[in-house]
Amino acid sequence: MFDSIKNNFATFDVEVKRDDLYKVEVNKDRVFELIDFIGNNYEYQTLNAITCTDWIEDEHFSITYMLTSLDRKHTFMVQTTINRNKAKIKSLTDRFAQAEIMERDLAEMYGIDFIGNNNLKELSLENWIHTPPLRREFDTLEFVNEHLTFREGRDDNVDTKAEAKRLRALKKAQKEAEKKAKEEANGK
Amino acid sequence: METGFLKEQKILESENSVDFLMNWFRKRSIFVLAYGTGCGAIEMPPTFTSRYDAERLGIRGSATPRQADVIIVSGYCSYKTLRRIIRTYEQMSNPKYVLALGSCTINGGMYWDSYNTIKKLEDYLPVDMYVNGCMPRPESILEGFIQLQKDIGDGKASSWELYEKNYDFYRKNQEAILGKVVEPSYEADWYLYDGGL
Repeated sequence: MFDSIKNNFATFDVEVKRDDLYKVEVNKDRVFELIDFIGNNYEYQTLNAITCTDWIEDEHFSITYMLTSLDRKHTFMVQTTINRNKAKIKSLTDRFAQAEIMERDLAEMYGIDFIGNNNLKELSLENWIHTPPLRREFDTLEFVNEHLTFREGRDDNVDTKAEAKRLRALKKAQKEAEKKAKEEANGK
Repeated sequence: METGFLKEQKILESENSVDFLMNWFRKRSIFVLAYGTGCGAIEMPPTFTSRYDAERLGIRGSATPRQADVIIVSGYCSYKTLRRIIRTYEQMSNPKYVLALGSCTINGGMYWDSYNTIKKLEDYLPVDMYVNGCMPRPESILEGFIQLQKDIGDGKASSWELYEKNYDFYRKNQEAILGKVVEPSYEADWYLYDGGL
């Protein structure tokens, strides 16, 4: 299988992640060809998940398709990278109907446009007009500070970390003093 | 000092006897809307069923908002849920009370830096009673209910009046995070969509 994938798709080697998990990285244009290929020839016919990883430093998203062969209990990761700023990729809905909701999720959370999926409505958010929340340039804390108000803390509120440090230092000093006193008593 | 029956006898003879009676009736039959948000909803079934038996205090469930007296906001409350809560709350008839459970409704709890969860419920709805904890056990919920009953009896629990009086304030806060259209749409598009369910 490794050789035929390598010969047909001129990709990197197939990586053996685990006994039941292989991974292959492939060009964006040929990813569906590869999915068809392993589905037809090697029984990877169940789509488990479509996931997205945001590599903001390299300025790309990597999209992973998890395909499983239920008979052999074996999973194949097909990974591809797309441009981060104009995130666009063909939809998988013509091959797998369940891809629709997964793509809808990614479209909502990362702002990826899946060409061919005509139901890219919001799934769990509602009337969201800001940056898609799982993109890494979206600063959650900044957003929260801007849009929501926090309750003011109690008057006797203390910084727990600083307080713990202070108590620890106090305890240590006490212990050392005791030790010293003991040593002095023994010396006499 | 007179206590018990004698005290109540005296109040009944006084000028405020009607108010006293109304509050007395209200506090002894609290109908709670069967509605749960977030993880705190899991503590409500034991509260209302045989183990903790809230019905011995006159607290029982109600199926519709129009017949309910109390809405429990149990746990974290996302924007999407808040729309439904506001809609439900506005459907309830006066007098109505809000009981907020868990630290999430008080200060955001473990979702303090979440982009999609409100931090202070009282900005959006008037709250009569907070019960803290993550999650509060049924004992705490009952404690909260008993305190709420006391407040109702004394005529102190009047959050629905606050909501009417300060409606602009609440509406402004609601619109600030939910947009101009606060009420949720009731088209079941996800259900009717031919590729969906």
